Amino acid sequence: MTSLSLRLLRLGGPRAWTTAGLVGAGVAVASALLAVALGALHGLDSREARTGWRTPAAAAPGEPVIAQVRTRVDHAAGKPITQVDVVAPGPAAPGPATPGPAVPGATGPGPATPVPSGGTTAPPGLPRLPAPGELWVSPALAALLRELAPDALANRYPGPPTGLIGDAGLRFPDELVVVIGRPAGDPVLTAPGDSRVVPVASFARTTVPAEDEGYRQLTIVAVALVAFPIAGLLGASARLTATRRGERLATLRLLGASTRQITVVAVAETTVIATAAAITGFLLEALVSPLVARIPLAGGGWFAADVRPSVLVSVGAVVAVGLLATASAVGGLRRVVVSPLGVARRQQARGVRLVRLLGVVAALVVFAIGNSALRVVDVEAAGLVMAAVVLALFGAVVLVGPLVVRGVGGWLGRRESVPALLAGRRLQDDPRAAFRPLAGVTLAIFVAGFLAPLSATAWGATQRDDHTLHVRAGTPDQATTLLARAGIGADVRPAAGERSSGVDVRPVDPAELDRARTLLAPLAPGTLVQTDAEASGQNAVLLDDLRRGVLVVLVATFLVAATATGTAAAARVLDHRHTLRLLRLAGTPVRVLEQARMRETAAPLLVNGAIALAFGLLCASPFTAATGVLAPSGLIVLGSVLLAGTAAVLAATAASRPLLRSLTREDQERSL
Amino acid sequence: MMLRGTGVTKRFGPTTVLSDVDVEVAPGETLAVTGPSGSGKSTLLHCLAGILVPDDGEVWLGAERIDRLSDARRTDVRRQRFGFVFQFGQLLPELPAIENVALPLMLGGMRRRQALERAASWFPALGIDGFQTRRPGQLSGGQEQRVAIARALVTAPAVVFADEPTGALDSDTGAHVMDLLCGLAVRTGTALVVVTHDPEVAARCHRTVVLRDGVLRDGCVPA
Amino acid sequence: MSPAATAVDLVRTYGRWDAAVRALDGVSLEIPTGRFTAIMGPSGSGKSTLLHLLAGLDVPTSGRVLLGDTDLGALPDAALTRVRRDRLGFVFQAFNLLPQLTAAQNIDLPARLAGRRPDPAWRTALVGLLGIADRLEHRPSQLSGGQQQRVAVARALLGRPEIVFADEPTGNLDTTSGHELLGLLTRSVHELGRTVVMVTHDAVAASFADQVLLLRDGRPAGSLVDPTPDTVLAALRDLTAGVPA
Repeated sequence: MTSLSLRLLRLGGPRAWTTAGLVGAGVAVASALLAVALGALHGLDSREARTGWRTPAAAAPGEPVIAQVRTRVDHAAGKPITQVDVVAPGPAAPGPATPGPAVPGATGPGPATPVPSGGTTAPPGLPRLPAPGELWVSPALAALLRELAPDALANRYPGPPTGLIGDAGLRFPDELVVVIGRPAGDPVLTAPGDSRVVPVASFARTTVPAEDEGYRQLTIVAVALVAFPIAGLLGASARLTATRRGERLATLRLLGASTRQITVVAVAETTVIATAAAITGFLLEALVSPLVARIPLAGGGWFAADVRPSVLVSVGAVVAVGLLATASAVGGLRRVVVSPLGVARRQQARGVRLVRLLGVVAALVVFAIGNSALRVVDVEAAGLVMAAVVLALFGAVVLVGPLVVRGVGGWLGRRESVPALLAGRRLQDDPRAAFRPLAGVTLAIFVAGFLAPLSATAWGATQRDDHTLHVRAGTPDQATTLLARAGIGADVRPAAGERSSGVDVRPVDPAELDRARTLLAPLAPGTLVQTDAEASGQNAVLLDDLRRGVLVVLVATFLVAATATGTAAAARVLDHRHTLRLLRLAGTPVRVLEQARMRETAAPLLVNGAIALAFGLLCASPFTAATGVLAPSGLIVLGSVLLAGTAAVLAATAASRPLLRSLTREDQERSL
Repeated sequence: MMLRGTGVTKRFGPTTVLSDVDVEVAPGETLAVTGPSGSGKSTLLHCLAGILVPDDGEVWLGAERIDRLSDARRTDVRRQRFGFVFQFGQLLPELPAIENVALPLMLGGMRRRQALERAASWFPALGIDGFQTRRPGQLSGGQEQRVAIARALVTAPAVVFADEPTGALDSDTGAHVMDLLCGLAVRTGTALVVVTHDPEVAARCHRTVVLRDGVLRDGCVPA
Repeated sequence: MSPAATAVDLVRTYGRWDAAVRALDGVSLEIPTGRFTAIMGPSGSGKSTLLHLLAGLDVPTSGRVLLGDTDLGALPDAALTRVRRDRLGFVFQAFNLLPQLTAAQNIDLPARLAGRRPDPAWRTALVGLLGIADRLEHRPSQLSGGQQQRVAVARALLGRPEIVFADEPTGNLDTTSGHELLGLLTRSVHELGRTVVMVTHDAVAASFADQVLLLRDGRPAGSLVDPTPDTVLAALRDLTAGVPA
């Protein structure tokens, strides 16, 4: 049977190829995006495998400690430099990991711990465990060291670079990273700061940094968002196949093909197209992976091999797309009856009930409760509360969609213009079917509405003071002396605010920032001298990534939704071709029919989009209210993507215009 | 207003479907076009109604020659001067009956309220009063055809073209529908062209022309 | 010989609400085995509906259809499908050939759907009888209308069905091809012992049959044995004039 259906597909004629091409293109684009997302997951894994040792798991009690590790982010020339201090264990007793700077001093002799030797103790990318005084730098940092004056950067380090860190130890090709070997008891162990000092037994055991886990979860959300419109696209495609091949399928039924056999024939086409398109999509992603690798995420770009999902995962994903295609196609066919006497749309009451509004009310209640709960619960629980609120509002958007379509239909149906009347009645006739191709876009807009103010807040964060250096020890006099000796003019005052000790230094010339911090570093041994903006830099990167991610997901869902809407529109033209043709014969300008089709897509898209945006903003309001800072630039980008996406969806609807025109042509044979 | 076709000839590829057909129909007159399937009946209707452009010959509506008009103008003529009744499936399934009838008026620019009032006034005459808000799926075949007749007549057209209007009905219902169609055409002074292969339907018209292999076999009235 | 098919009080209504139309309004009849039966009537008389019900393509609103001893009404959809595949053959007005398959593949299609191999000797005999032996590797688009319909007849007969149902089989053929096809159907009855039921509105086509059953407004309206075109036309005229034949 499958070979039979393939033959039916192969010789389906030009129109079959057009629709197959449309569906294939949509699935290929979606699969390429899926591949990018899976590639990002793979890349995050690879990065972690190479650099996880920088945030190691603490040695278990009694385990021999080979080093103590502290990882921090320094800055030079406005860029972050990851600095890993590897301190020799010395005579100190290996103890349990101690958070914060309060590492017990190296007091009292302990049992001498045998340090295992050999390659297994070397961190990835390094030939050996760095000895005290050694300085291993990444190629990018080596270049930066050559570029900047020694008193702007090199003087911060104990000496010249010992060697280069190999790719196996880098997050991404251009990463700035330095691994410094320190003697036992180095001040780094006790210097104040946010990072932990961790005694390690091996560089193989690692923990996953919290923000990487966040990226992983957000990527999975993106995959889910893209999957939504793909399913709609595939369902519409199968229905299109069945209607288009109506006569042939009916013939097969007449000759004794069972319902199951017919389903195989009608679904095989969609499955084959989807699978082929998925393979194309993954190959496409492999092809453009060097370009994808340039998209920064979590602080930088990628090695091209990182962003290509593994072969096993790719095969699994292609199979999954094929299965999704089959499932959606079978679902799409359920709305069509193939009887020996012809193919017809299943006539069912397709009402949408107002009960759905209760769901929205419930979601708003959850939001209100969650919002007030957020003020009292601790940080751990806040995450759960937040997730519940987001899920509730997310669900409300999906639930209310068809209802909104019905309402928009009623409003359009009362208008004066004929296209509005036709569009409105059609929306009222089957609101759920009309909403389905738009569901993905609506959800993406919700996510955008949720994340846009957050990323705007991030923009606000980067506006924090980026000129005043905070030195964690020393006096204003000492600082002034050091700076005067180097000829750097600066405003120096005792540390203010929540800081109890140290000095705040604001160089008159911002270009002197790196020289000043290099000079001042010895005042507080083992610490990093940073501005407030630099200290909070990690967050800014994360939220910047979020904004980028939202844009990518928005563009992706709009593209897939555009093909889904286009396919559904084509399917509807085929469903109603007889009536449409007779209307045209009776003198209805084809323009009127086209305008009706545009309206039945545009109106519900705009209204649902607006509602989703409002709910998304509502969802974000507990966070943004605190800062109240909105970034106009981010909102402009978001707005233009929304506009362009809407235009793309409408263009895809218009793409079936030639089909409408040719199917309703006056001189068409009466075979319809 | 007189509808007249002279020397109407239509070819599809190498096949001549209509060959030099002369036909005319006057206001208030009902004309049946019959013949076996494949004889060119529907093609003749399409040519006369400005749906198809004949390869040779002329089609005149009163003093206007319509077969040489542009595609858009012919569409306008069909909407404003002609009405159509097809075999089945001509009503939009999502629209209630009354909006289906009002559609041509609204397409002509009439205000919605006025169009609906005008449309409603046709329902009693066609014996479908009370079915205004039903959708086509909730109507029987005969009721559907009556709604279609109302839609064809609502614009006060010069000519109504009916292509096998009773083809999907049982004979009693078909007879009633034909009586309504012919009666209303005569009463409103509308010319009526009915394409049918059913002699019973043709017998209800003033005149019958018979087509065979695209050629007119004079206007004899069948026995 | 017991009848090939029996209809008992068949009623079929279409439409919903109070607007239901009775397409068949109580029809009881028998289709004799090994004979060529034509069903005639004006449009709307219910003749196609009757054929669809006899062939299990449609389900009666009330009444029963027996195919041999099998009550079609008692069968679920899957079993009906098997009955169509294994015990019936179809020749319809639209030739119903799959354009992607060659003539030979079209002929074998029901057997393939059933997962069976066609009987090669019978197949060769049929193809020879129908005069399409040299056309087997052609696709439908490369065949004339008459040849396509003969392929459809070969397909219908290959499974040695109990009954062949034909719905306006000459509707899309010119007169000569139509008569050839009717001749072939007649031979399949008289020489191959098949049972054929044909719906037509063409008096000449009906005259090829052994008997004609007449319908009007969903009810039986008499029958003709050994019809000629003239007797059929006369009967039809009586029908449309409302006089029972």
